[in-house]
Parts: sequence; C-alpha cells; structure tokens
Amino acid sequence: MSLIERLRSTLPGGPPAPSGDPLLDELRVALSPDRVKVDGAQRSLLGKDASVFDGGNSGPICYPTSTDEVAAIMRIAEAHGRAVVPRGAGTGLAGGAIPLGGPVVIAVTKMNKILEIDEENGVAWVEPGVINLDLTRHLQPLGYHFAPDPSSQQVCTIGGNVANNSGGPHCLAYGVTNAHVAALEIVTAEGEIVMLGGLDAEPDGYDLRGVFVGSEGTLGITTKIAVTLTRNRPAVRTLLLSFESTRDAANTVSGVVAAGIVPAAMEVMDQRITQAVENYVNAGYPTDAGAVLLAEVDGPEAGIDIDAERIRDIGLENNATDVRFAQDDAERAALWKGRKTAFGAVAQIAPDYYLHDTVVPRSKLADVLDEIYAIADRHDVLVMNVFHAGDGNLHPLLIFDGREPGVLDRIHAAGGDIITASLDAGGVLSGEHGIGVEKQKYMDRLFTDDDLDHQNRLRRAFDPVCRANPGKVLPMGHSCADIQHLRSVPAEVWG
Amino acid sequence: MDLKLDADDLNTCVQCGLCLPHCPTFRVTGDEAKSPRGRIHLMREVQNNDAPLTDEVIDSFETCVQCRGCEPACPSNVPYGHLMEQARETLADAGEMTPTWQRLAFKPLANPTMLQAGSSALAVAQRFKLVPKRLGISEELPIRRKPLTPTGNDVYFFTGCVMDAWQRDVHAAGMRVLEAAGIGSIPTNELAPCCGALHAHAGMAEDTRNLAGTMMANLDPDKPILVDSAGCGAAMKDYGHLLGTDEAKAFSARVFDIQEYLADHVDSLPEVEPLDLRVAVQDPCHLRHVQRVHQATRTVLAPFVRELVELDDDGLCCGAGGAYSVLQPELAGDIRDRKVAAIDRVTPDAVASANPGCSMHLGAAGVPTIHPMELVAQALDRGPKR
Repeated sequence: MSLIERLRSTLPGGPPAPSGDPLLDELRVALSPDRVKVDGAQRSLLGKDASVFDGGNSGPICYPTSTDEVAAIMRIAEAHGRAVVPRGAGTGLAGGAIPLGGPVVIAVTKMNKILEIDEENGVAWVEPGVINLDLTRHLQPLGYHFAPDPSSQQVCTIGGNVANNSGGPHCLAYGVTNAHVAALEIVTAEGEIVMLGGLDAEPDGYDLRGVFVGSEGTLGITTKIAVTLTRNRPAVRTLLLSFESTRDAANTVSGVVAAGIVPAAMEVMDQRITQAVENYVNAGYPTDAGAVLLAEVDGPEAGIDIDAERIRDIGLENNATDVRFAQDDAERAALWKGRKTAFGAVAQIAPDYYLHDTVVPRSKLADVLDEIYAIADRHDVLVMNVFHAGDGNLHPLLIFDGREPGVLDRIHAAGGDIITASLDAGGVLSGEHGIGVEKQKYMDRLFTDDDLDHQNRLRRAFDPVCRANPGKVLPMGHSCADIQHLRSVPAEVWG
Repeated sequence: MDLKLDADDLNTCVQCGLCLPHCPTFRVTGDEAKSPRGRIHLMREVQNNDAPLTDEVIDSFETCVQCRGCEPACPSNVPYGHLMEQARETLADAGEMTPTWQRLAFKPLANPTMLQAGSSALAVAQRFKLVPKRLGISEELPIRRKPLTPTGNDVYFFTGCVMDAWQRDVHAAGMRVLEAAGIGSIPTNELAPCCGALHAHAGMAEDTRNLAGTMMANLDPDKPILVDSAGCGAAMKDYGHLLGTDEAKAFSARVFDIQEYLADHVDSLPEVEPLDLRVAVQDPCHLRHVQRVHQATRTVLAPFVRELVELDDDGLCCGAGGAYSVLQPELAGDIRDRKVAAIDRVTPDAVASANPGCSMHLGAAGVPTIHPMELVAQALDRGPKR
C-alpha cells in the first residue's frame, strides 16, 4: 500500500485500508471498518456462548445496524462460500450460536431499537437485539409486557428468543415465544428480505412464521419482529411451598393440574440448588427443605385467593412442611430473582455445569426425577434439579470442575442416561433451550429417518445454499450434504 | 503470561452472561470484549492458555470503568473488581499498561501542598479560559480554600486529595450536618492525604498500599472514619483485602460512608422545612455496587427535600470512573448519554450524587448535580420548621 493510500484510509469517511482478504474488505465496505472485527481476542470470545461447547474460532464478526446491512452480509458471505451464524447476547445453553468452521458471525447487539408500539394492532415492532426485560420495562407504563420470561430475560435478546422459541416460568399459562410473535422480517441465506406472518388475525397461506420461530438460525436471520402485547396482570399471588422430597413437590404439581387450576407458573428447586440460590439472594428460601415449589396464580382480584388456597391445600395433602405467601411485590421479586439466577449460582459449588432440558409427561415427573438422582449416583457426579414443573420441563444441572481428570466422560455418560430415561418416559429432547450442537446426536432417537429427511427438505426450501447456521439442529447425514467439512471440532466436545 | 490472578477466583465465572446488561461499556457497544464475561474470558486465555497480549486484549481491560456494576448482578459472586485490579497491577508492572506519564500524573495526589498549589494554578488558568474542555471540569475551581477546623472529637472526617482541593465546600457541609446531629468531627487534612483509589484502578496498587500505611499510622485506632466520597470510601473499606493484615481489616471496619453513618443518627437532626425541590438520587457505583449502602442516602435525604425520585436504569454507571472520563472520553460520553436520558425521564430539579467524580462528569453535561450533604446543610441553614 502506498503512503497516500495509507493516509487516506485513516481519514474519517475514507475507504478502509485493504486487508488482503477480499471477504473482509467487502464486509468493511458494506458496513464500516469498525463494525467488522477479526482480531484473535474477538474471535475467541465469540467462539463461545453460555454452554459448555467450544466451537473454535469464528471468521469475521459483523455488527450490523440495519436490515439492508444484514442482507449485504448474507450476499457477501454467499459469494465467498462462507456460512453465517447469528448471535444475540450469547446466553444460549445448547451451542446454537457457536461458530463451526470459521463462519461470518452476525452479532445483532447493535440492532437494539424498539421501533414502534402499535396498541391498535396489539403489537410492538422491535429489532432482534432488544433485550427481553428492556422491552417489558418499556411496555410497563402502558400497561403491557412481553410474556415469555426466560430465566436469562435480563440479558437475552428477542432475536434469540425467536430463534430458540424460548419459554420461561410464566409460559405455563401464557405460552412460549411462538404464541407471542405476530410477524417477522427475515433475511435468508441468499440475502433476500422476506416478511413472514402478519398483523391480520388469519394471514393467508401456510404459517411460515411458525416454521421460522424455533429454527435456531438455520432458516435465516430475523431483523424485525412484531411481538404481541400482553396486558399486565390485575392481581398476583405467589406461594412458596416446602417439602421433604422432590417427589412430594412433583406430586403436588400433578395434583394442581389435575384439579383444573392453571397457575401462571410452577417451579421446583431441590435442596442443593435452593441453598446456592439463597446464599446469593437472601430471599428467605428454606435451606433445610428437601425441595421447594414456587407457584404463582394471577388474574382478576376476585377468585384469585381461592386458587391460591387450593394450591396450598393440595401441597399440604402431599406432605408440604411449610407454605408461605409472598406478602408484597418486593418479597415476590426476591423469590423470583432467586429462581431466575439459579444456573449462575452453581459456581459457588463447582466452576462448570452441564444442563439438560428434557420434557417429560407431568404424571411421570416424580419417577423420572428419582431416576435422575440414581443416574447421578451411578456415575458419581453431582446433580441439582431446578425445573419448570408445570409443563414437565426438567433442567437437571450436572455440576463439575472441568479441571478434574476424567470428569467429562462421567458427565457425558450421565447426560446420555438422563436423556434416555426422559425419552423412555415418553418425553422429548428439549423444552426451550434448543437442539444446537448439543442434542443433534439424540435426534434420531426421537425421529425416524423419514421425519429427519422431511425436516431437512423444509430447511433447504429456505436455505438451498446451506449457509445459514449449518452444523446445528439436524444430525449429520440428514442435513445439507456440503457442510460435513464444517465439523472442524471433534464430534464430542464437552468442555 | 501469568497475570497473577487467583485461580479459584478466575474459575468462579460460569460464563452465564447475566452481568452483560449491567456493564456500561457493553451497554453502549454491544461488544463482548467490552463486557465482564468477555474480560474474564480474556484473562483466562492470557493466564491459562498463554494467549498473546494483543492491543485488543489491552483495550478490553483499559476500557473497563471498574464500576463493578457486574458484581451484584453475579449469582456466583465473582470478585470481578479484584480480578481487574490485579490484572492491571500485573500489566502495569510489566509496562503493558499505565504509561509513565499517567504514573507521574497520579503522584501529586499524595502530596497536599503540591496538589493544592497546582489546583490553584488550574483555577487561575480556568478564569482565563485556558483549561481544555476534555478534562471535564464542570465547575469553577476555588483559587483559595478556607481551612477546615475540628468541630469535636467523635469521628474523623476524611478530606482526601482532589476533592479537598476542588470541593472543600462539600466537606464543610458534611461537617456542619454532623455537628447538627451532635457529632463532632476532626478533618483528616494532611494526616490522610489520599486514599489511593485512583492508583489502585490504574494498576499502581503499591502506591495505594503505601498511602494506606500512612493513613493507618496517623489515625487514632478508636475512632470511626467518615467519608463523603463514594470512591474513596470503597477504596478504604478494601484496605483489609489489599494489605491482608488484621490491622488493615480493623481499619476498614471503622470506615463509613457519611450517609451510611448518618442514617443511624437521622433522628438526631433537627426538624426543618424541607427544600422545595424534586431531587433524583444518582447512586455512585462505588456506593451502590461496592459498598452497597446506597439506601442510606435516601434515608438521610428524604426529610430535607420535597420529593425524592428514583432513576430507572438499575444504577448503571454514569461513566465518570475516577480518571476514566479523561482517559476514555468517547466511551465515558456515550455512557453518560444513557444516564442523562434516564435523568431527563424523571424531570428532577436537582440530582444528588455522593461522589465528586460523578458530579463533575454529569455537571460537564449540564446536569445540576449536588452532594446530598450540601442539600441537607442548605435545608438546615433555613432554620427550624415553622
């Protein structure tokens, strides 16, 4: 490069200095030089999300600020034969956002504007990088909130919620993300901008919006989302029930549902996790109880106490040792803060955790939990249980110190057994965290070859070039043929 | 490279990411390298995997405000502040951070005569409009300062370095309020020239240890030490950790933020007509996230103003960060914009901030900022309730 060129490239607004890598140069022209990063630190950071999987290094990392920029990135990546991986806050637990084979990473954290609140149509238009809790807080003064409330809601993005069809404690009564998205603007892997769904009650044609929600970036990337507004709850009652065993807690949950009550949330934590959580929040969780059930009912003031008292009675019938009602919003908030920070709190016990996400029929909850404790004993690993009991969504946390030799093999084996036990009980692989790279190899236990081939054909209809987050969700052999080489990491990386 | 970080402390982080929205630099950049989780990851890469110490890694560490807003958000109680201070100390010792000009700039803080002479010179320069705006000095500095004299013998009143040179009026107000509550105080003046907080932030912890030693040797070991600067108070409460001696731990246990101390004596203050002001409380990070005694400001202030209002930004940093606003002006400005927007949303008449750095930084953006003790003192000056 001549001196003149070098000088010019330092001027604001001047063309970026050529790097020698055409892909990088084109991306820098399409965005701006400071919003395309390739340094080692950055690539190492974006090699990980909140899961235990390490995807290795990403290619260039782009921070677009508009739909057009996303489309440009997609076209440039395709022209250079590179895959594209979307990323929100990086709080995923199944490795859905980790880069495989040096892809272009699209980080949507700078697309974080709430574009419009449309009360008439009952939606808010938001960009994908808006943080879930920021949206709810923004809507609060108007009397609304965004219903899906994952435990990571203070940090996770709406784009990530759409990609994973995220749930949360209160999705028991309100439904998961799919029930709260009216329309989506997406950019396909070929750079085409498409609107899926719409604000009409019954949009024409197939529900492609529904296909896209939960597709973990394998069908493209969403750039604008119309989320539905949910009215704030007129009245709430929150109860904390203590039990001697998780079995009693699980039976209470089944009893409540069998009694025809639809609580807003029902969450169970076992003793070990309750102790870790209480140590952080000091919310008055009983650390001597074998398990606790956090239950919440909401609705009009009239009648709400009746439901709360019935839950208390069902708990007492199932040997509850204590029942406490939250006296005010502050106490309620403290209890929920404890539940929602449970995963992070485990580092007080060991520095690594591996988390499963299977769903089992509610009637089998108690049996499967017993089986999980037995599996952990058998493999000599520590397990803690915290889960969305109301919909049978288990979150067994296997706790370990990755520095201990051989521990990963035991964690791996125990994890496999937990999945088998859940599937044998009639369950499914994932409630809300997604398949990512984590559960791919178990997909054929749940689906037949024919099922998987059809899923792949659906994927190819959106992404014929196989560039959108390849190597995720669908197991090898059933996914795009030309991405086999992307497995640049060993097939089973657990630490 | 061995950053000399405690292996267990470093391992406490499970990379869950709950800290991200509580980090001011992540909030304004969306960049993982400017988040606590990212910085810890890079510390691990450097220390455990011998990753190269590139400009990007240094930049990631240098752009940290050290507000420690991530700490209360962390369910695993990762001691992030201590990790960052240790990393900076190691890197500064190795000549990778804190260049000589910065080291020299921190030196006069420990020397009151030099500091006050320099400050007066700066004040004169300011009158001739010779002080660059970039320094963010929002108020007119005093050319001369009225000496503080003891009002009794119950507690020490820590006066410190820059704050004493620039905002001695705040100290005077604090001492007046204490006196009204029946608490006589001794200004520390040259007994305790500087707390060393800025040195520790810049990786010059050895200077901090020396300053701590001087202070501990000079102050009577029976008296509480009250501090009206959140950053200084936090640093002095950390001497126990920094020096690791029983003497230092006992010293730290005697340090109180002035609002924290007064909250237990608020009934001793006379009842007066409250100031007719709607006041927003801006919690300095080192009061809220480090000392965690920010509620005391409300307890003390409430009887003396018409209305207290809360900001809705979860105590996110304002971007002042000691010397940060001078060293990282662009990020500090972006962070301040968020704070100013939060303040505008509650339309206060004044903003109460118990830290000199915050009030300077916000003042430079036109926010009417005042120390809570000055508000209480003003109300007390109006005399008894009619």
